[in-house]
Amino acid sequence: MTAYILRRLAQMLPVLLLASFAIFAMIYAVPGGPVAVIVGENASQEEIAAAIQRYGLDRPMVVQYLDWLGRALTGDFGLSLHSRQPVLQLIGERLPATAQLALAAIIVALVLGIPVGIASAVKPNSWLDRVLSGWSALALGVPTFWVGILLILLFAVELRWLPSASRHVPFWESPFEALRSLALPAITLGLYVSGILARFLRASLIGESRSDYVRTARAKGVPENRIVGLHMMRNALLPFVTIVGLMMANFIGGAVVTEAVFTYPGLGRLLIQAISTRDYPLIQGCILVILVGYMLINLLVDLLYAWIDPRIEYR
Amino acid sequence: MTGLAAAGRLLRRLLARRGAVLSLAFLALVGCAALFAGLLPLDPLRQSIADSLKPPSTEAWFGTDELGRDILARVVYGARTSLVTAFGAVFIAALIGVPVGLVAGFYGDWRDSVLMRCIDVLLALPNILFAMALIAVLGRSQGAALVAVGVAGIPSFARIARAQVMALRQLDFVTAVRGFGGGPGYIMFRTILPNALSPLVVQAIVLASIAILLEAALSFLGVGVPPPTPSWGEMLRTGKSYLYEAPTYAVLPGIVLTLTILSFDTIGRAMTALIDRDETDAVRETAGGRR
Repeated sequence: MTAYILRRLAQMLPVLLLASFAIFAMIYAVPGGPVAVIVGENASQEEIAAAIQRYGLDRPMVVQYLDWLGRALTGDFGLSLHSRQPVLQLIGERLPATAQLALAAIIVALVLGIPVGIASAVKPNSWLDRVLSGWSALALGVPTFWVGILLILLFAVELRWLPSASRHVPFWESPFEALRSLALPAITLGLYVSGILARFLRASLIGESRSDYVRTARAKGVPENRIVGLHMMRNALLPFVTIVGLMMANFIGGAVVTEAVFTYPGLGRLLIQAISTRDYPLIQGCILVILVGYMLINLLVDLLYAWIDPRIEYR
Repeated sequence: MTGLAAAGRLLRRLLARRGAVLSLAFLALVGCAALFAGLLPLDPLRQSIADSLKPPSTEAWFGTDELGRDILARVVYGARTSLVTAFGAVFIAALIGVPVGLVAGFYGDWRDSVLMRCIDVLLALPNILFAMALIAVLGRSQGAALVAVGVAGIPSFARIARAQVMALRQLDFVTAVRGFGGGPGYIMFRTILPNALSPLVVQAIVLASIAILLEAALSFLGVGVPPPTPSWGEMLRTGKSYLYEAPTYAVLPGIVLTLTILSFDTIGRAMTALIDRDETDAVRETAGGRR
């Protein structure tokens, strides 16, 4: 098991190295290059010379990259150009908010998506299946940010039950306030993910319902809910988990957009702010952290996969 | 049967499905609005502060925005922005992705490994993140949004083209062309490509829906098409600030955006189902893309 995890981590390295180089090289593609990024476009000759001297910008690019990577590995992403605070500190302040939102959204998605997927797979092409499949198609196709706007209109503007802008309240400090703040963003993001879960769980359960072992179980007189819940679910989870892993990229994109809808102070909004103020060290830091997070989630999905199916060996 | 004839037959069978017909009709409406926007008595840029944030009325069917501009006019011209960005992006994605996939699948040697590793790196970043990084470098403009969305679509075309080549290159008709002395370029682009067209066309349609969504999302985040160019995502972004004063502002453009995305998606899925039903397993594996 440990060897498998280590091997998977090692496989991540080349992609991570290439991606980190691309993220580093970003500032070289900006008009004016890294100097303009640091001192601005209207800097004097002295300022430019001082910046080149100070940041060692006259060294070969590969040397600068290795230097940058070395510092990034120790958690030093440099200072934000805008606020002059360490990038890692800014990211660290936002990370718990994003993690809390992601977790809440996943819970919403599981609670909504799995029952819908099972219910529509049990009687395929029935009216219930059509309604539920239509619902999951809508959850997938309607843009997340518009769903968020509609939810704000309903629950904040019309009913005045929930706030239209969400703050980050740590759950253990004030569970009620945290839930009030999280409810709309978590439902917005969770709804979208539940559409993915329901659609693929339905497909994979229907696939299983045609197998021999299901027919045998039925012939033996095993109750239907046991067949679905115990026999089919376990096998259907395999292709399902793979798809969910592939869909994690959409989840992260959805999280960035959801944070923007609810002005939720997470990593996604930090990145958007960084892009609009052209704060390149902060942009690089945010993208690198999100990328690492994304790859770790994928690793987790793989491990889950092996845990569900004991036939898969950790090799 | 050539790929083009197959595509024509597919279109006829598509018209037998109700959802697909409704979607096509809606897209035709949006397409005409985008093409002939200039002929309509609508001005998306004329401001009139006295008339700001008016609800829908007979003069302004969708109401007015915070600068008193006609929201319907902006939705109509926004269709132009959306469709131009989406089609431009699909074109870029196909222009780069298809040859990459063809070469990788045709040779299958080191060229395959190198090209597909590059595609893997593109896939390693969630596409909205990739687009945002690209816009951070290129600066905010419609062109940058178009390129960013297009580059994010390259992997899907590359993978489908590659799978198609690998399925087709051993077949007799390809061997025959090789026997007649057809070179690699001729075989890839004149022999294999026309026969691999339908899954690629389906992918283009699926990608158009993703591209419209992605462009709208970027504009909604404030990094896409810059104002005052009308864009659906940008309208939702500003509309969101006036939810209490003018709730229809963010709702109506959202309906048009959502219907456009759902229409492309419906057509794409209907075509996938039709192809699935009567083509080979190789096609079945790839036509659905990542959806």
